[in-house]
Amino acid sequence: MPRVLLVNDTDKPIAELREALQRAGYEILADVAHARALLHAVETQRPDVILIDTESPTRDTLEQLAVMNAAAPRPVVMVSDTADQSVIRAAVRAGVTTYVVDGMAPAKLAPILEVACARFDEEDKLRRRLAEVEQQLADRKDIDRAKGWLMDRHGLSETEAFELLRGQAMKQGVRLGDVARQLLPPPGQPGP
Amino acid sequence: MSSPPTPQAGRVIAGSDAPEKPQLRVGFIALTDCAPLVIAVARGYDRKYGLELVLQRQPSWAAVRDRLLSGDLDASHALYGLGYGIQLGLGGPQRDMAMLMSLNQGGQAITLSRALDSQARGGAALARFIHGSSDRLTFAHTFPTGSHAMLLYYWLAAHGIHPLHDVRSAVIPPPQMAEALRRGDVDGYCVGEPWNALAQSEGKGTTVALTSEVWPNHPEKVLACTRDFADRHPNTARP
Repeated sequence: MPRVLLVNDTDKPIAELREALQRAGYEILADVAHARALLHAVETQRPDVILIDTESPTRDTLEQLAVMNAAAPRPVVMVSDTADQSVIRAAVRAGVTTYVVDGMAPAKLAPILEVACARFDEEDKLRRRLAEVEQQLADRKDIDRAKGWLMDRHGLSETEAFELLRGQAMKQGVRLGDVARQLLPPPGQPGP
Repeated sequence: MSSPPTPQAGRVIAGSDAPEKPQLRVGFIALTDCAPLVIAVARGYDRKYGLELVLQRQPSWAAVRDRLLSGDLDASHALYGLGYGIQLGLGGPQRDMAMLMSLNQGGQAITLSRALDSQARGGAALARFIHGSSDRLTFAHTFPTGSHAMLLYYWLAAHGIHPLHDVRSAVIPPPQMAEALRRGDVDGYCVGEPWNALAQSEGKGTTVALTSEVWPNHPEKVLACTRDFADRHPNTARP
């Protein structure tokens, strides 16, 4: 069973892969979070696979190992004869870069990457869902402010103000929140 | 490695020498010598030539390489040696590359920790110190096929220190260099600015050599793209 090292030095929750990979039966070495620890871990623990965020600044440290040390893990960045191309592409898209020791069977790498992708996809969905909810909340606040302004300024009832906004949104083919923001001044400035 | 193709043939056929791809995603690493690209955008020199450079900060040279090869970047601020490394397939995938223009020459330096410098001032003293010590010192540079590796190794070798046997070498991301020196993880390094000046001003390091003393006017950063990109966009890639 391949031994996996996780490099955890960006905001991406690569450390959360630990549990998922352990459940899948892999041996996961202690995380490393900077260049020195990474060098030490590779030298002393000889991992078969290293998973690292594509945004990690420590990647160049691994490149040095790949060039200088025949026994060190090598990058399999999108191009590799030894691993499943589509799985690697999916992993890179998800944000994981992989380094493996030469000669490791693709059959062993693919499931590790699949776990990583699944975990990162889930993360991505949660992030998108959160952004959506935050947007809805912001919209509601702006719509309320715009409604209040219309009621004060034009003496409309709440229903009339809302209908006015909704009519405008339908006419322009934009979201209600966008119409409200068109009406309102930029944050920090006095009311329209 | 070859220079980008001349645009004449394409110009006659297409009847125009306008850039085929006016908006370009161009990578850079946060170093003083990315300035030519930043200035080009800030002052609108790109638009003067019918181009729009969209600069995208990159976290590592490895990311620059991957994104040039995947097409996520059209071109990038790159170590001179990075292009050759990819061309030769050293430590990674092989692809034909093109260097469109030089961005700067020289401008890098070698810094030793204050502690080491005070014990062994000057190359000859450093060689004596290293040969007389049982612990191996660690020197850092920035990328295996980069200019800093070459300049550091050359400087060490010029003083009789074997760069691969007498010392350990490590790659540390430039923004972490001064910190690594402060913590004692490394005893010296070769890197671009501002990371030498920072260690010096913090009193943790002493800059002992400028790389222009090792190789006057040495090539340093270039604007690089794949050979394929240059072939498909001869007017865009024209020097």
